[in-house]
Amino acid sequence: MSSRRSRQSTAGVSRISDDQIIELVSKLRQLLPEIRDRRSDKVSASKVLQETCNYIRSLHREVDDLSERLSQLLATIDTDSAEAAIIRSLIM
Amino acid sequence: MRPPSSLKQEFLKKWIMGLQRCSTVKKNMSILERKKAIKLSADVAMASARNGKTCWSRAIIANASKHGSDKHLVEKILGPESERLIAKKVSTGALCNNRIRSKKILKRSWGIRRTRKCAPQVALASFIAKWLVRKRTKVLKSLIPGGEFMNEVCLIEETLDYIISLRAQVDVMRTLASTSEIVNHN
Repeated sequence: MSSRRSRQSTAGVSRISDDQIIELVSKLRQLLPEIRDRRSDKVSASKVLQETCNYIRSLHREVDDLSERLSQLLATIDTDSAEAAIIRSLIM
Repeated sequence: MRPPSSLKQEFLKKWIMGLQRCSTVKKNMSILERKKAIKLSADVAMASARNGKTCWSRAIIANASKHGSDKHLVEKILGPESERLIAKKVSTGALCNNRIRSKKILKRSWGIRRTRKCAPQVALASFIAKWLVRKRTKVLKSLIPGGEFMNEVCLIEETLDYIISLRAQVDVMRTLASTSEIVNHN
């Protein structure tokens, strides 16, 4: 690991230290629901990346589902009720 | 980082602004059209809540501004800052690219030097591990808006921020959807 750092300094490019990456990866682990619950400290980087991708994909899907639900809701809303007027004035 | 509740409030405010604009522009949308409008407003509202500070938010704004019909929506949601925020993307992308190119050359030289020194089993294990990381990093880059332009550290930082924003967005949308459903059924 230290050899990697010394090679970096010769290139004149801004340095990314391994510690920085480790810190960021651990922050990422805190956010992921699956990994956070497991007690183990040793989670590989590829596992974290995989869980991250899965999590982001599931969040995208949820946004999609919710947009669909809201869209159908607005379409079927009962036009006369007072509550409908509230919702309508809020988002339409 | 701002506390989540104020992020949610800002997102909600801008999202509603966007939705109102969508419905004034086009009455009687089909369900699919309305769904796309809702989703687009939500994404742009979430991106604008970041105020141009993150790469992914700038990428969302830039992509949305490409289509003429959506550009007005973006401008409405962003408000007075819209011109500055829309113009921001291009310069940062180029900068990241140069950094990535020099890093790629570096990485290639590390890889070759490393495998020659290790024992075969260790070399194979570390090769597989690296390959997995590289493969999954590519997938992650495709998921984060504007990810193709980022280096590793940038990518992870952006991912952290993006996940937090996405969660706030999902929470607000879920609350609105379930509240509306309850109100509608009563």
